[in-house]
Amino acid sequence: MTRLFVDTWAASYGAAFGGGEGPSSPSTAQVETDAELPPGEWRPLEAPRGVSSPGVVLLVDGVQRIDATLSTEEEDGGSYAGLAASYAAGVVRCDLGVGAAELAGAQVARGFFTASPSVGDVVAGQIRYALHKVEGAGELSKLPASVQGPLTALEIELSGAARTGGDLLVVDGPLRGRRQLPRTIGYIKTQDKQYLPPALTLVVTALRPGQRSPIFKQGTAWGCWSWYLRLPGGNGAPWSGMVRVECSPDLPVEQAVELANLSLVTLPRFASTPYKDPRAPQNLIPIAGLERRLRGLLGDARLLHRALTLATTRLV
Amino acid sequence: MSVRWCTMSAVADETGEAVGRVLGTADATPLSFWTAVAPGSYLQLDDVVVTRRDLPGREPVTIAGVVTQVRARHEGAQFDSDVFAIADGTLPALVQEAAEITTTRVDPELYVPPSPGAVVRRATGDLRAAALHFDRMEKRVPMGTGRDGLPAFLNADFLDGSRGAHVSISGISGVATKTSFATFLLYSVFRSGVLGGEAINAKALIFNVKGEDLLFLDHPNARLDDDTTRRYAELGLPATPFPDVRVYAPPRAKDSSGAPDVSSRLTGIDSFYWTLAEFCEARLLPYVFADADDERQQYTMVVHAVTAHLARHAQPADGGISVDGIRLGSYPDLVDFVVARLTDEETRGTWAGSAVNTGTVNAFARRLIASKKDLARLIRGDLAERRPHAINTAESAQVTVVDLHNLPDRAQRFVVGVTLKTEFERKEKAGTAKPLLFVVLDELNKYAPREGSSPIKEVLLDIAERGRSLGVILIGAQQTASEVERRIVTNSAIRVVGRLDPAEASRPEYGFLPPAQRQRVLLAKPGTMFVSQPDIPVPLCVEFPFPAWATRPSEAGQAPSATLRSIVQSADPFAVVGGRSEDEIPF
Repeated sequence: MTRLFVDTWAASYGAAFGGGEGPSSPSTAQVETDAELPPGEWRPLEAPRGVSSPGVVLLVDGVQRIDATLSTEEEDGGSYAGLAASYAAGVVRCDLGVGAAELAGAQVARGFFTASPSVGDVVAGQIRYALHKVEGAGELSKLPASVQGPLTALEIELSGAARTGGDLLVVDGPLRGRRQLPRTIGYIKTQDKQYLPPALTLVVTALRPGQRSPIFKQGTAWGCWSWYLRLPGGNGAPWSGMVRVECSPDLPVEQAVELANLSLVTLPRFASTPYKDPRAPQNLIPIAGLERRLRGLLGDARLLHRALTLATTRLV
Repeated sequence: MSVRWCTMSAVADETGEAVGRVLGTADATPLSFWTAVAPGSYLQLDDVVVTRRDLPGREPVTIAGVVTQVRARHEGAQFDSDVFAIADGTLPALVQEAAEITTTRVDPELYVPPSPGAVVRRATGDLRAAALHFDRMEKRVPMGTGRDGLPAFLNADFLDGSRGAHVSISGISGVATKTSFATFLLYSVFRSGVLGGEAINAKALIFNVKGEDLLFLDHPNARLDDDTTRRYAELGLPATPFPDVRVYAPPRAKDSSGAPDVSSRLTGIDSFYWTLAEFCEARLLPYVFADADDERQQYTMVVHAVTAHLARHAQPADGGISVDGIRLGSYPDLVDFVVARLTDEETRGTWAGSAVNTGTVNAFARRLIASKKDLARLIRGDLAERRPHAINTAESAQVTVVDLHNLPDRAQRFVVGVTLKTEFERKEKAGTAKPLLFVVLDELNKYAPREGSSPIKEVLLDIAERGRSLGVILIGAQQTASEVERRIVTNSAIRVVGRLDPAEASRPEYGFLPPAQRQRVLLAKPGTMFVSQPDIPVPLCVEFPFPAWATRPSEAGQAPSATLRSIVQSADPFAVVGGRSEDEIPF
């Protein structure tokens, strides 16, 4: 009989996994699965004895918010859509030895995203939205994605800060351009793509909390070493509490395995609880706290919207 | 005065350690606002702070206040259990402290709120004095140190009757140290020099109701240490006992010599009593019935009729009195005589009036007989008439202590009532406010209860309402201000609260305490008082130093030489016996 599970994520966030039965769309990426163990010997792995979490864990994340949707009136009578967005990135430094988590750095930026060839920065009161020209036709539906680029750049800028020897940097989301940073792992909460062949996927869904899959290499443009890890606090559904962690593909296999074991002893303690976080357990506690702080730094949305309205009215 | 403060507002800009900024997440009002405390700084309750508000086209407004509440919380935490994640080092959060400031002074008087974000500085030196209005006090009485260790002052204008008078002190007995504060305040008034030349002539009358605590005001405290001496010096006071004290105690019961009834103090103490002649002439009988309960009864008219009859017909006769040709040598004799006359059908009419029925007379007689035991030792016919025995502050030392602690309730009321009445009448006759007379009376709720009326309550009300102009200052203490006649409490310019009972602290009589202070009075330790004075909108929390005088026999140091002679000993023995002309040597 088919068992049913209610997804632990609040419905408004969508499911952590397509429909609850795991990654739905198979990935086209090349996958090497024989780096740590031959595919035939794949089994859930636990951290070897003696591996302990680093004293300092840094977590990087960013948030973005659309403050207003604008449209331009060009001299030729045409019109372009525009987005005024605020975004912020920050680093939390969790000193597990001392027991202190602090905001090690945060930066807020605001941008005006449009394809219009004629406009400049938008100044609303004391706030300046710097112009980010978008390539192409600049349809409104494509604009939100264009905020991600500057935000990632901001995250990368902050990732280098506050590093000390022996720490571990956890990046929320794929590593992307941060592969060169030492002792850095990417942390992916949602599983959209199925990278592994069905036989190996069975090993992944058989993971118990605190276990990981062997590492495998994805061969895309942003290729990397990758492994699955199940966090405690899921509801027992095949993909509940499952996250994918990745690290730089330039590392030798041994170092990648070392990072994988390190993630296995470090990440579970950061897992959140369902009643506190609608995206539990994957949304890590420090990340949630950081996002809250960053959203606070973005400023009041209604105030910004009003300032923008006022500023654009005056322009006429 | 305002000019001086304005120059200070310029100073406020640069001096003083910046401790935080005015919060914008809570309403800032001209009378109260919240301050976020900057990292690495702190504010504690009662700290004095100052901030500035710039106004377009006007001089800036300086807003000063005291901290009335402080709180700290985790910002960024949503759930109570987040504290564990924060302490564990997994959840980033900020500890943010905020302090509530209650405004004490706005200068110039433009009641604008401080702007959120404005820098708040700790007020020190002249700025602190200005914030607490000390700079406006022409005469200031040190009353202890604030929580910051600096002196706090009382405006003497509200103590000496020039703008207000009377002090009301409330607090639980034992921990609230009401009497100690009252005596310290007296000491401070007498020794700080605020009274100027009048300090020599100003008097104090203290009723000692519990133990023999106040009988050693003129003895140095053997436990006085350097630290306490230094605290006195910081307040500008010498750490010495009261220099000029006279102690009165009731005569020992059933002792014909009239020796004072005290056990611990053996020298420099005199007994007080009234002769039967004084009792009749000064119409003191109503004070025998000074219980509020007595006033409601029918027999008050009998009391007044008998009083009048005695005043008219009693003749002094060799210490005692003679009425209708019969010599009465003691109070029990007088009582028996009066009762006999009242029970006799023939004489009742002349003593009690004709309209009185036997039931009322019997009720009066019953109580009068009951008073024999209590008052026999205070109303005497067997002691030398001219022997000094009256309590008279005008002729006494600067501080007159009247010991009541050995007396039963009825006798205590009699002494307090009669003494206050004579003192007040004497001041009334003198007609001038100076020299001042301070009256310290504990257990005011007993002598001037909220309900009912009694002769003592009438005297106390008279003092509360007219004493200010006559120079009689009442320093009243009570466990519960809610049980004291409201007119006495409302007439007190200065209100002092020590440790209070929780149920009592919530009563409207303590409405002058802000909510946070109402909670704090429940925890106030001995020696900590909250003093409200008309000048300052927030009561000040002060700690007064340990008494420099002995408060119990075990603390008493070397007795001052003046106490070795009592007034009886210093009186001329021939004056006591009384020289009759025929005894004089005939040449």
